[in-house]
Amino acid sequence: MKVDNSLPLEYSTEENSLKILGFWIFLGAEIMLFATLFTAYFTLENRIGNGPSGAEIFEISPVLVETILLLTSSFVIGLGIHAMRLGNKKAMMIFFSITLLLGAGFLGFEIYEFIHYVHVGATLQTSAFTAILLTTLGTHGLHVTFGLVWGLFILIQIKKRGLTPETANKSFIFSLYWHFLDIIWIFIFSFIYLKGMM
Amino acid sequence: MDFFNRFAVPHPSFLIYGAMVSIAIAMIAVVVGITYFKKWGYLWREWLTTVDHKRIGIMYLIVALLMLFRGGVDAIMMRYQLSMPDNTFLDSQHYNEVFTTHGIVMILFMAMPFITFFFNYLIPLQIGARDVAFPRLNALSFWLFFMGAMLFNMSFVVGGSPDSGWTSYFPLAGNEFSTSVGTNYYMIAIQIAGMGTLMTGINFITTILKMRAPGMKLMKMPMFTWSAFIANVIVVFAFPVLTVLLAMGTMDRLFGTNFFTTDNGGMDMLWANLFWVWGHPEVYILILPAFGLYSEIISTFARRNLYGYKSMVASMVVISIFSFLVWAHHFFTMGQGPLTNSIFSITTMAIAVPTGVKIFNWLFTLWKGKIVFTTPMLYSILFIPLFTLGGVTGVMLAMSAADYQYHNTMFLVAHFHNVIIPGVVYAMIAGLTFYWPKMFGFMLNEKLGKWTAWLLSVGFVLAFIPMYITGLDGQARRMYTYSESTGFSTLNMVSFIGAAIMAVAFALLVYNIYYSIRYASRDIGSDPWDARSLEWATHTPVPEYNFAIIPEVASTEAFWDSKKKGHELFKGKIEKIHMPNNSPLPFIMSCIFFVFGFSMVFSIWPVAIIALIGILACLTYRSFEKDHGRYISVEEIEETEAKLRGAKK
Amino acid sequence: MKELFPLKQVMGFVFSLVLTAVALIAYFTDMSFSLGMTILLLTAFIQAGLQIVVFMHAGETNDKKSIYTNIYYGVLIALITIFGTLLVMVWDM
Repeated sequence: MKVDNSLPLEYSTEENSLKILGFWIFLGAEIMLFATLFTAYFTLENRIGNGPSGAEIFEISPVLVETILLLTSSFVIGLGIHAMRLGNKKAMMIFFSITLLLGAGFLGFEIYEFIHYVHVGATLQTSAFTAILLTTLGTHGLHVTFGLVWGLFILIQIKKRGLTPETANKSFIFSLYWHFLDIIWIFIFSFIYLKGMM
Repeated sequence: MDFFNRFAVPHPSFLIYGAMVSIAIAMIAVVVGITYFKKWGYLWREWLTTVDHKRIGIMYLIVALLMLFRGGVDAIMMRYQLSMPDNTFLDSQHYNEVFTTHGIVMILFMAMPFITFFFNYLIPLQIGARDVAFPRLNALSFWLFFMGAMLFNMSFVVGGSPDSGWTSYFPLAGNEFSTSVGTNYYMIAIQIAGMGTLMTGINFITTILKMRAPGMKLMKMPMFTWSAFIANVIVVFAFPVLTVLLAMGTMDRLFGTNFFTTDNGGMDMLWANLFWVWGHPEVYILILPAFGLYSEIISTFARRNLYGYKSMVASMVVISIFSFLVWAHHFFTMGQGPLTNSIFSITTMAIAVPTGVKIFNWLFTLWKGKIVFTTPMLYSILFIPLFTLGGVTGVMLAMSAADYQYHNTMFLVAHFHNVIIPGVVYAMIAGLTFYWPKMFGFMLNEKLGKWTAWLLSVGFVLAFIPMYITGLDGQARRMYTYSESTGFSTLNMVSFIGAAIMAVAFALLVYNIYYSIRYASRDIGSDPWDARSLEWATHTPVPEYNFAIIPEVASTEAFWDSKKKGHELFKGKIEKIHMPNNSPLPFIMSCIFFVFGFSMVFSIWPVAIIALIGILACLTYRSFEKDHGRYISVEEIEETEAKLRGAKK
Repeated sequence: MKELFPLKQVMGFVFSLVLTAVALIAYFTDMSFSLGMTILLLTAFIQAGLQIVVFMHAGETNDKKSIYTNIYYGVLIALITIFGTLLVMVWDM
């Protein structure tokens, strides 16, 4: 395998840079995945049947906490990648661990939020609006859950194998995924919650 | 026993029992055959676990041909049912099932794998690469697609086929009106196959962007690679829509949500809308690679460089955006206002312009060319007028006010077959004939091939032109019969005769393959057509590493210029080559996906959960796996090269 | 320690917190729907851009052009799908 030392570790082989570009294109597909969910959401937003509307069930405080948690985790994983480029394995692992903890915190609040919705009678079966709301949030939540497990696997590999072109590449791709989830959350925060409560 | 009742077909007939028996016999024959010839090990090592793009391509081809046969049988049954008024060959329920599966099988399980076969086999060769960007992912794409196709086809004999049209509009496809598991098969089988297609898209975009031979700038790529690139871009941005849509449909059917129901705020029209947001780009995903193949074939056999290379590329880039701007023309009559219909009318008519540009480019390429009438060329020449007819009727349908007259009549059916058959099917057969010697080392018989092309065209005209007339006279599509007083019978009989002639043409194609395997000359060299691009520059059969030395490219028609102008393609000397290892993981994971899909269709939750855990376990294994591939040594390459050069002479 | 916190990323983080706060104005104050939506659209897209450029390092390699084309194309198709559907299904139905 040819290793080009002038580049950061995660780009250093041909295969690595293929993987990074491929992942960007996958993120393009993810943009459309969430765009379709948003399309359905905006179409069904006011079709509440006999169920509650968004303004009736949304609560600002858990949403705000979730936003801050995810935003911070996105910042921290950025620091993790920076530390990785400095070759500081220990700092990188700390930053990655904090990211995952913040992500877990986000997920906890989201689960609390879902329980709240079910409690006030906004279940998956209530109306078209509740169904698309829970599906959109749920899809994002599933992505975060998947990310937590994936991130944990990468942490284990870095601990065992050290910072190699392969593990660095995986970490960088994971950071792309994590930042992307934050971007999606910004849109959920703005156009589902804030718009719904406005 | 109750548990097993759910697997029974709800509306059986002798045809379905016959299919059960023949499927069982065929499966036993395959298993016995493989065991008898002791081929299990070979099958496992060389095919089921392979990551070689050429072998994966050939597997796509096999599935496509099988599905062409299945969809063709559906078509013949429909034409026979309609050939006479008040025919009782199929009842209404069976007719519904047959037209539904005909549509899905032909679009998603025949045309899609056929173009994916060309992507797989040709793109790495055309751009001078050794494999695709992600070989392992490529294998996973194929096996997911394969399992989706098999799951879908199972519906015929286990639990019942879907019956609400290939578009599966709600509320008809909802639980209230579609009570059998047929539509569950639709939702889940297409979902699994669709995931495979999405991965194919990502894989080939990366391959084309990053793995071109040195010197091959984007504007020096062969036209097929360009068309495949644009098609894959559309795949990546259109298929997620389908993913979400099918997931929503699945939730409506299995978990009682109200996305597309008619109460609790549900909106059935949203299904139609999102379906076509995916569905219209899908049309271009199919047709663009076909255009690419025609471009290769026409410039090869006109012995001229393709006319208007830049305008060809520009028109495809325009199409890649416009194809996302026209979807509402599929439901002009659904009740949206005149403003919307006008906008979508205009965009639809506008998209005919880049397509027209391409037609003129082909004509100008032929102009003053030294035309060689081979079979692939014959298909291309037949394609131009027939496809233009389909395109013009498409512009007729694009006029939203007039569309109220044509909507859901046989006129529409005639139109889309008129673009898909001369557009896509001809290109697939032409491409298959053209690249057959590259794959298998002998040519298909030219005389039989030309007979096939003419028979297919005569059959096509007889089968579909009458539908334009009956459609304008008011024959609705998807009606299983009509009375004699409508006056449709003569033209429908003509149509059946045309369909029968097409069936004969396909049989002749199969005979041609058999005939050529037995009698065709094996001494044809590696460039039997005197062709133009890099895939012909390597040996036949293509060695697993494709090119011993990566070619260096100086012009659009790289191989042609190396032959005629003496550009040197292969500079430098042989070095050891890095290749990916085979892996059983894609196959195993897709099998688990099959189990998962099947148990979802029948709502057997424990099995579904276990299968899901299995899938996650495969992903975990992959995450921790260390696989750095292997090297082919210089001596080994030199030995292979010497042998192949000897075979070529 | 200081080298672990590059100024660019810290500033990016602060800026995204500010943008979140600005977006919250749309919730806490009583303003018209169109003004509120304008603010939300601006803050959301600026913040997304910030993430992509500062944190995701989209522009640092030779693939810069491919990556940006990919994003622009995706966003264009996404907007077409969202607003086109709203036109067909809601505004003009």
